[in-house]
Amino acid sequence: MNSNDIISSGLLELYASGLSSPEESIQVQQWIKDFPEVKAELLAIEQVLETYAMVNGVIPPAEVKDKILQKIGFSTADKTNTGIPALQSELSSSKIYRIPVYFKLAAAACLVLLVGSLLLNYNFYHKYQNASSDLQLAQNRLNQQKELTAGMNKDMTVMTDKYALPVVLNGTPHAPDALAKIYWMKNTGEIYIDPTNLPQVPSGKQYQLWAIINGKPVDAGMISTQHGVFHIQKMKTFGKAEAFAITMEKEGGSPTPTMEEMYVIAKI
Amino acid sequence: MEDIRKYNEGELVSMLQNEDAKAFSYLYDNYSAAIYGVIYKMVENKELAEDILQEAFIKFWNNFKNYDPLKGRLFTWMLNIARNLTIDTLRSKDYKKQHKIYGNENSVNELSDKSRGIDQFDSLGIRKHLTYLKNDQKQIIDLAYFSGLTQDEISKELSIPLGTVKTRMRAAILELRKLLEYR
Repeated sequence: MNSNDIISSGLLELYASGLSSPEESIQVQQWIKDFPEVKAELLAIEQVLETYAMVNGVIPPAEVKDKILQKIGFSTADKTNTGIPALQSELSSSKIYRIPVYFKLAAAACLVLLVGSLLLNYNFYHKYQNASSDLQLAQNRLNQQKELTAGMNKDMTVMTDKYALPVVLNGTPHAPDALAKIYWMKNTGEIYIDPTNLPQVPSGKQYQLWAIINGKPVDAGMISTQHGVFHIQKMKTFGKAEAFAITMEKEGGSPTPTMEEMYVIAKI
Repeated sequence: MEDIRKYNEGELVSMLQNEDAKAFSYLYDNYSAAIYGVIYKMVENKELAEDILQEAFIKFWNNFKNYDPLKGRLFTWMLNIARNLTIDTLRSKDYKKQHKIYGNENSVNELSDKSRGIDQFDSLGIRKHLTYLKNDQKQIIDLAYFSGLTQDEISKELSIPLGTVKTRMRAAILELRKLLEYR
């Protein structure tokens, strides 16, 4: 069969219309391989039938396309962009990781608040430390005042005691300006000394009170003049005594008085 | 329809064989009406025709690798798949075709009225030329294209010898080609 016979047979038209039998189809496929002019004829027939089908076409409802795209795995939502599904997914994934603007603003605000808070903390801590040391000072002063007041109260109690017998010890020729007072409790025999008007003691030295009993000096106790505070203080207790004297002795006292260092003396 | 890009057939085929979604969308926009028209005329039932059209396009998508350009045009391949699906459906649903003849009253012209907005073709111009097609020529083309009948059934339908189906098809299509060349 030559190509003209094939072309004029009408078999190409049947093949193009889908009406050829399987055997005829195989035959036609062989011919179009062998004869370029047969192939050209077939393509022309197909083209005209295609046009015929186009002209007689009926537009299907729009949802059919959506259903098809869905079934083959393309989203209906991007039916106009089905060509770039990769880009679509990139966009959506970047969307997932994007931090919202209000989040950024909130973070910035938090940072500002944090810095402000730190500055205030530093400031307040500084003030707190100052206040704390001020308070410490004030409390120390108050405690000193309290001690002072307590000491004075104690002095007052001794001086105003109704049984207190005040004895003034006058300065000896060795220390004419010196003066001391003793409050001798007649009921209990307790002796309190007020060393306020004794001269300052050099370091390593201390005043010692003596009671003269039966003409002999008896140790009546060491007078504390530490920190320069001369308070009325309790000494030893005597039921009776002829005289009292205060000498300056070495720190801790001496068993017998140093007569040259006698500052004050009083006879009862 | 919004896609104004045109592909030549070779381009389109290679894109489709690479599962290019844009090419598939383009294919649907350009060929669904022609294929739906054929299916619709075969089953004469809107819902059934839509189902078959869906099935057909999914089958195209899954079988582009099997399409061989050496054996004919892409549209011919697609239409054969769609037509075979339709025939299978009609048979399975017991939709046996009952001696359906497209006479003058439901011929090409009447069927054409159902088509709408095939903008890529000068539909009106072509239709005007198609009116010059002789009735028996329209009839055999429509039977071949829109009925799903076999050569045998067509020869019986038209009461002509089997061999005459070929020659009449050839004559009708030659006439159609002439008419379309004048447009």
